[in-house]
Amino acid sequence: MQTTTALLQVLSSGIGTGAVYALVALGFNVVFKSTGAMNFAQGEWVVMGGMVTALLIGTFSSVGLAVVAAVVLVGVVGLLSERLTVQPLKRPDALVITLVTIGLSIVSRSLVMLVLGKKPVGYAGFSGNTALSFGGVSIQSQTLWIIAITLAFLVVMHAFFERTILGKALRAAAADREAAAIVGVNVGSTVLLSFGIAALAGALAGAIVTPLTLASYDQGAIFGFKGFSAAMLGGLGSLPGAVVGGLALGLLEAFGSFYISSDFKDAIAFAVLLLILFVRPSGLLGRADIVKV
Amino acid sequence: MQFGRRSFLKMVPAAALTATGTGTVAGLWSSAARAAEPLRVGSILSVTGPAAFLGEDMKAGLELAVDEFNAAGGMGGRKIEWTYYDAESQTQKGITATRRLISQDKVEVILSGGNMSGIALAMAPITNAAKVPFISSEGALAIVTPVAERQYVFKSTVDDGDVLERIADYLDKKKIKKVALIADTSGFGQGAVGQMKIVGPKRGLDVMYESFAPSDTDMMPQLTRIRDAGAEAIICWTVTPAGVVFLKQAQQLGLDKKTLIHSYGFVSADYMKLAGDAANTLLLASLKLPVGDQLPDSDPLKAGILKLMKAYEARFKRPASIYAAESYDAALLAREALKKVGGDVSKLTQGMEQIKDFPGISGVFTFSAERHSGLSKQDIVLVNWRDGRFNLADYA
Repeated sequence: MQTTTALLQVLSSGIGTGAVYALVALGFNVVFKSTGAMNFAQGEWVVMGGMVTALLIGTFSSVGLAVVAAVVLVGVVGLLSERLTVQPLKRPDALVITLVTIGLSIVSRSLVMLVLGKKPVGYAGFSGNTALSFGGVSIQSQTLWIIAITLAFLVVMHAFFERTILGKALRAAAADREAAAIVGVNVGSTVLLSFGIAALAGALAGAIVTPLTLASYDQGAIFGFKGFSAAMLGGLGSLPGAVVGGLALGLLEAFGSFYISSDFKDAIAFAVLLLILFVRPSGLLGRADIVKV
Repeated sequence: MQFGRRSFLKMVPAAALTATGTGTVAGLWSSAARAAEPLRVGSILSVTGPAAFLGEDMKAGLELAVDEFNAAGGMGGRKIEWTYYDAESQTQKGITATRRLISQDKVEVILSGGNMSGIALAMAPITNAAKVPFISSEGALAIVTPVAERQYVFKSTVDDGDVLERIADYLDKKKIKKVALIADTSGFGQGAVGQMKIVGPKRGLDVMYESFAPSDTDMMPQLTRIRDAGAEAIICWTVTPAGVVFLKQAQQLGLDKKTLIHSYGFVSADYMKLAGDAANTLLLASLKLPVGDQLPDSDPLKAGILKLMKAYEARFKRPASIYAAESYDAALLAREALKKVGGDVSKLTQGMEQIKDFPGISGVFTFSAERHSGLSKQDIVLVNWRDGRFNLADYA
C-alpha cells in the first residue's frame, strides 16, 4: 500500500514542516552565537508573526504587505525585548540571559493573549488555498511558498554574515567578545542586532506557516521546543546546521508517523535526536568546543 | 438619653424572644435564618489557556443561569452565591482550586469542572470524598464511572459512546463499513478511541485508528495512510484548532469527497470560518442547540433552546454555543434536583437520581442510581455548515 506517491507525499510534508523548524532554529542560533544563551522567547515571536499578520491583513488588503509589516513589527519587538531585558543586565552571562528569556517568553505570551486575543486566527495562502498535483502527489501552494521564502531568507542571511561589515562584526563578536571590542566592534549593539534578526526569522516562520496551521497565542512553546531541538540537532550556532537540523526533524516526524505510528510521532523524533546527540554531542554540523585546561 | 433609648429598643425583641423562648419557636426561627442564607455554589472554569474559548462560554452560561434563577427566587428557595476560579487549562491548578472551593469557600454544590475532561477527572474523586455534589459539564465518561465510586458526581454532557452509536446509525444508513477515526492525544480524543473500540465491532464497522497531538501543524502522513487504506468515512475527534488543519489537508488529498465527520467538540462557527471551503462537505455530530430553529416543533427541546438563545444573545452579544448550554444545564439540573427533595442540599444526589425525561437545553435528561450521565444518542443530530451557519442535515 505504501506506494511511491505516498512516499513523496510524506516527503513533501516533512520538507514543508522542516523549513519552518529551520527558520525557528536559525533564530536560536543567531542569539546563541552572539550571547552563548538559549533564547526561549523565540517561539513567541513565531506566534506573533502569524497573529500580527492576521490582524494587519484587514488594513493592508494584500497578504504580502501584511506579512512584511508584521515581520518588521515583530523585529522591532525583538529589538525592544533586548533593550528592556538583556541590556540592563549587570552581568550578562549566558545562563542569566537564558533565564531572562524564559521570563520574556511568559510575558510575551500573556501580552499576545491580552492584545491579540485567545482565538486561533488564520488567513488564506499567498496564492489562495490552492493545491498543485504532481502525478498523484498533492502539494499546497503555500508549502512551496514556505520552502521558497525560507531559502531566500537563508541566502540573504548568509550574504549578510559573509559580505556586510555589520555581519562580520556580529561574527567577530561571537568568536571573541573582548578581541572584537578591542578592534572597535560595538559588542552591545551586536547582541541587540542578533535579537532583531532572531525575531525577524521567527516572525517570518509564523507568517508563512499560519495559512496552513492557524496561529493561536499558546502555540509558542511548542514552536520554540521544536526549533530548539532542530538547532541542537543541526549544531548550535551553525547557520547550515539550522537548515539541516530543521529538515531532519521535519522528515523524522513525517516518516516516523507514517511508517511506525502517529501515536509516537514526537517520541520517535526525539528518540532519534537523543541518539544523534549521544554520538555527536555538538550536533550534525556543529563543531565541538575545545577547551584548554 | 438617646443612646439609652436606642439600646432599649434593640433589646425589646431579644427579650420578648427569650421570654417566649420555647424549643419550637427557637427552632423555627433558626430554620428561617438558614433559608435566608445564600446557597454557596462553586465552579472551576478555564478562562485562560488552550481551553479558554470553551471556558468563556461556560462561564457565560453559568452567569446567565445564576442571574435568571436568582431573579426567580434562587435554587431550592435560597439565593445563589456563586464563586468561580480559573484553572488556566491546567489540571494541577484545577485541583488546588477545587480544594479551595470545598475547604475555604465551603460550597455546597460544584457546577462545571474546568471545561477539560482531564481536570474534571481529577476533581471527581476529591468532590466525592468531600461529599460535595459535583455536576460536571465535561465530556469523558470516566468522570462519572464507576458509579459506586462517584456517588456525588453527575454530568450534563453526552457520552462519546452514544455519539459514536449515533454516527454508526448514520453510516449504516449510507452503507459505509470502512471507517477511520483520527483523534487527538488528549483525554477527549483518546476517550473516543476507547469507546470506538467497543462500538465499532458491535456495529460491524471496520475501523482504523490514527492520532495527532493537539499542537500538530501537519497531518499529511496520517491522512495519506487513511487514503491508501481506502476508508470511506473519516471521523475526527478534537476540540483544538488542529481540527482545521485536518480539514484543509484532507481537502488537499481529495478526501473531502469521502464522508468527513467532526465530533460535537468542534461545533464552532469560528473553526468553520477558519476552515473556509474545506468545511463544505463536512458533517458534525452535534447537540441540537446550533440548529434549534430548524428542529421540528414536536421536538421537546426546541422551546427551551430558542429561549436560551434569545436571552444569551441579548446579554453577551454573541450566539450561545453548545458549551454555554452544557454549563447552563448543570445549573438547571441542580435546581431540578433540589426541587425534587424540597430544597435539602444534603439530599441533592437523590434528587439527581430521580430526574427522568427532563428537557434541558442540550437534551432530555434521565438519571438513575446506576447511570450518572443523563443524555442519550437521541440528543445527537448531524449538522453541516452552509451559508455561514449550522444546518440540520440528519435528524434521528
